[in-house]
Amino acid sequence: MKILVAEDDQLMLKMLEFRLKKDGHEVIVTHDGRQAVAKLDEFQPDLVITDIMMPYLSGLEVVGAVKRKYPHGTPVIILSGMGQENVVLEAFQLGADDYITKPFSPNELSVRVRRFDVSAVK
Amino acid sequence: MSWQTFILHIFTYGILLYSIIMMICYVLIGAFSVGETRSYLNKNSFTDYRVLASSTEAPSMSILAPAYNEAPSIVENVRSLLSLHYNNLEVIVINDGSKDDSLERLINAYDLYKVDFFVNHQLKTKPVRGVYKSRNPVYRKLVVADKENGGKADALNVGVNIATHDYFVCIDADCILEQDALLKLAKPFLENSTQRVIAAGGVVRIANGCEIEDGRLVKVNLPKQFLPRVQTIEYIRAFLLTRMAWTRLNGLLLISGAFGAFEREIVIKCGGYNSNIVGEDMELVVRMRRYMEESNEPYRVSFIPDPLCWTEAPATFKILGRQRNRWTRGTIETLRLHKKMFFNPRYGLLGMLSYPYWLFFEFLAPIVEFVGTVGLVIYCIAGSVNWAALLIMVGVISIGILYSIFAILMEVLTYNQYKQRKDILRLVLVAILEPIIFHPFVVWSAIRGNFDLLRKHNGWGEMTRQGFAGEKKL
Amino acid sequence: MMTDGNLQMFFTAKLLTSNAILPAGYVIRVHYQVIVMFFIACLMSITLLYMLIYLYFKSKHEKKHDKWRLISDLIIRKAIFSDEDDEIETETIIPVIDRAKKLMRNKHFRNLLTEEIMSAKKSISGTSADNLKHLYQQLSLEKYALKNLRSRYWHIKAKAIQELTVMEMNEFVTELYTYTNNQNELVRMEAQTAIVQFHGFEGLRFLDIITYPISDWQQIKLLQQLSHVPPANINIDAWLESANNSVVVFALKLARNYHRFELHDNILSCLDHQYPEIRLQAINCLCEIYTNETSDHLISRFLNENIKNQLTMVRAFQNIGSEKDIRFLSSLLASDNDEMRVCAARALAYSGKNGLASLEDHARVAGYPLNEMILQIKGELAA
Repeated sequence: MKILVAEDDQLMLKMLEFRLKKDGHEVIVTHDGRQAVAKLDEFQPDLVITDIMMPYLSGLEVVGAVKRKYPHGTPVIILSGMGQENVVLEAFQLGADDYITKPFSPNELSVRVRRFDVSAVK
Repeated sequence: MSWQTFILHIFTYGILLYSIIMMICYVLIGAFSVGETRSYLNKNSFTDYRVLASSTEAPSMSILAPAYNEAPSIVENVRSLLSLHYNNLEVIVINDGSKDDSLERLINAYDLYKVDFFVNHQLKTKPVRGVYKSRNPVYRKLVVADKENGGKADALNVGVNIATHDYFVCIDADCILEQDALLKLAKPFLENSTQRVIAAGGVVRIANGCEIEDGRLVKVNLPKQFLPRVQTIEYIRAFLLTRMAWTRLNGLLLISGAFGAFEREIVIKCGGYNSNIVGEDMELVVRMRRYMEESNEPYRVSFIPDPLCWTEAPATFKILGRQRNRWTRGTIETLRLHKKMFFNPRYGLLGMLSYPYWLFFEFLAPIVEFVGTVGLVIYCIAGSVNWAALLIMVGVISIGILYSIFAILMEVLTYNQYKQRKDILRLVLVAILEPIIFHPFVVWSAIRGNFDLLRKHNGWGEMTRQGFAGEKKL
Repeated sequence: MMTDGNLQMFFTAKLLTSNAILPAGYVIRVHYQVIVMFFIACLMSITLLYMLIYLYFKSKHEKKHDKWRLISDLIIRKAIFSDEDDEIETETIIPVIDRAKKLMRNKHFRNLLTEEIMSAKKSISGTSADNLKHLYQQLSLEKYALKNLRSRYWHIKAKAIQELTVMEMNEFVTELYTYTNNQNELVRMEAQTAIVQFHGFEGLRFLDIITYPISDWQQIKLLQQLSHVPPANINIDAWLESANNSVVVFALKLARNYHRFELHDNILSCLDHQYPEIRLQAINCLCEIYTNETSDHLISRFLNENIKNQLTMVRAFQNIGSEKDIRFLSSLLASDNDEMRVCAARALAYSGKNGLASLEDHARVAGYPLNEMILQIKGELAA
């Protein structure tokens, strides 16, 4: 599966890339929301994983952009330190498909990602 | 003793005394600033500001961004304001009767529609033509107010009337904020449980030469041109030394109009921005402090030294001169409006120290310098070179340079925005050149400001025509 | 170059038009000035030199820093994914390269590694987080934290407490507890955070003893931290009567966030507290925890409140108002405070069908500004 990751924390980003690649996914990493949106067309990801608090464009805007571009495809998982009800609700209202709060378990992330893998469900 | 000698003595010794007091002030400011900066850094070096970003308990803030004829950049600027890390936020853009298509661009970019809105005229302003909100839930934080042209203070007052949150942050539409700016600016309001924090100021840095993309600061560079570069030192001195020192004493009188947070309730109670004067940002803080002193409530005006707001500084002598001219007029008008506080023990530190300092060392300094220099020149021409006075002057200038170098050192030790060693050396070089090339011009502009005010040559009309870019108070 | 003596003669000769007033005085002053100038020049060069040396070491250090960062990233990544690589017990030793082991003696590297481990620990949970904890202990980093805990500088002490908290070093909790009422604000804040981290709601028992105020900032932090642990039914009522005002405010926030309906009457009594901020919080709290009679209690205290709390009450009626409050709210529409009128109108609109109907009645007869306010509120309802 092709996964686009947007996360501004360098260490976190490396961890995510390492883990997802190990799970056999093709991963492209971006450091902020704007980069992520810009890479959408070129990379055509099957899944987007995004943080909320990022430079330039927030993760919520990334969700909006993805959903506008692919109204029926490309699920988005939000991976954020903000676990407050109002933020989570807003994310889902905007069309996010899953919401993981930090601190998160990489194992859990890996399983949640697999749920969106259409090719794996056979 | 002949009367000429007598006058000469008064003149020489007067200036000597003035210089000595000023030097003592420099030393004290340096010392207080070091103390305040150190305790701020110790306290906040391991603070996790992200706690505030999403908390529903975080103080509610409104950003007030007045805009006049900023169509080319307004959409991007608003976008960068909307992406600031803060959940409990509303962004209020006030279109101050722009003659270009600012409003149309905003309406198209953010899918705005005109809402029925009752504007509570707690502060008197020019009429509001309409209030707009977005249909798109992503932009739920955005409010746009369209009003008739009335200048910056009037636009800000409209913003204060429309705002619904407890605190508001005023910014210039052309300023670039760091993403965590509001988190850091909000914290002082939450920290003190014995004094009411009525306002908090932030540092303004110079954006000339920096790499900027889509309303975001990408890379910090030292300005390439001379004028902005000198102003870089000026700003470091003013913010990192002077403001920090005054904050330690709780005597801060000025929060930059380009970036500061205020408690809305107090601002409304003391009447909002004064739209009849040019230095509305300084005047507001003075009036708020005065109000708090008069109502005998313990309060505090806070200041944070983190570089959070970046702005374009004037790069030509013409614009710079106009800016300094305005600052001078603003200072004088503010001092005049509040002269009651001068050495008035009722106002505590504000009356006994802050106000006199502003009077003697902000308002009078250029005049003393001007008179001193002109006097010296006259005596030299008259054939009697006053070597003692000349030496005093050289001494004062060198101490000024030393003070600038100390400011650069503080910057290097704290935030160190200019990473290359070459840049630091360039800054030092500029600090040495400043008193020769830059400073006389600033003094001259200040003197002209004095004359303009005396001749009632005020620029109120001119202000609304020019908009407010490049006119912000340091 | 002139010597000092030359200079003096020079000055005494040239000084002023009139001859010989205080010539001696001037001589002394010239001397003095030369010394002062020399002194300034010295200071300037010292500052400059200091700055250059500092910058030199800093840039040298930074280059090393980048290398160290790569090393510590590698160590951390290995730690996080260690159990998956080899499918072995979690108790096994996490591989750390020899070079890093040598570097561990360097204080700066240690600090960097500790910071990186902490930052990773903050955003990761589950087995990977346990691995990070193991790594931390394996490298005996907690020993250094303990040493810092004993520091006489408060910010180092506070930082050490934070480190032990993030790394979940539960064994030091008793020592940390003693710091919860420390005279230094930062130290007690971190200690309180630590206790809540280790014991969840039970940890809040420090509220029984603290005499210093809890700042709003600290309250936000504590609430945030509590939101990560499962709610427990602890006794809040004693705190609602605490002599420490900030404890009462915090208890009210807890009661509201966790919907403690059984405390309704205790909260009502806070409405009569002499400290206005507590009354304000009590109103906010009743906004979430209310019964049929709550609005009557608010109305009976309305006139004696300050304007800020009155407005908060009227806003609360948006939630708790019902048909029986329509008369009260309608009467406020005649207030001379516009903000009060807007709030009252909005509360009416939310007070059932009849509330909206009565608002529409008002709209029909009212002129400016009430008609505009009502239009705005209708717009809000439609949006």
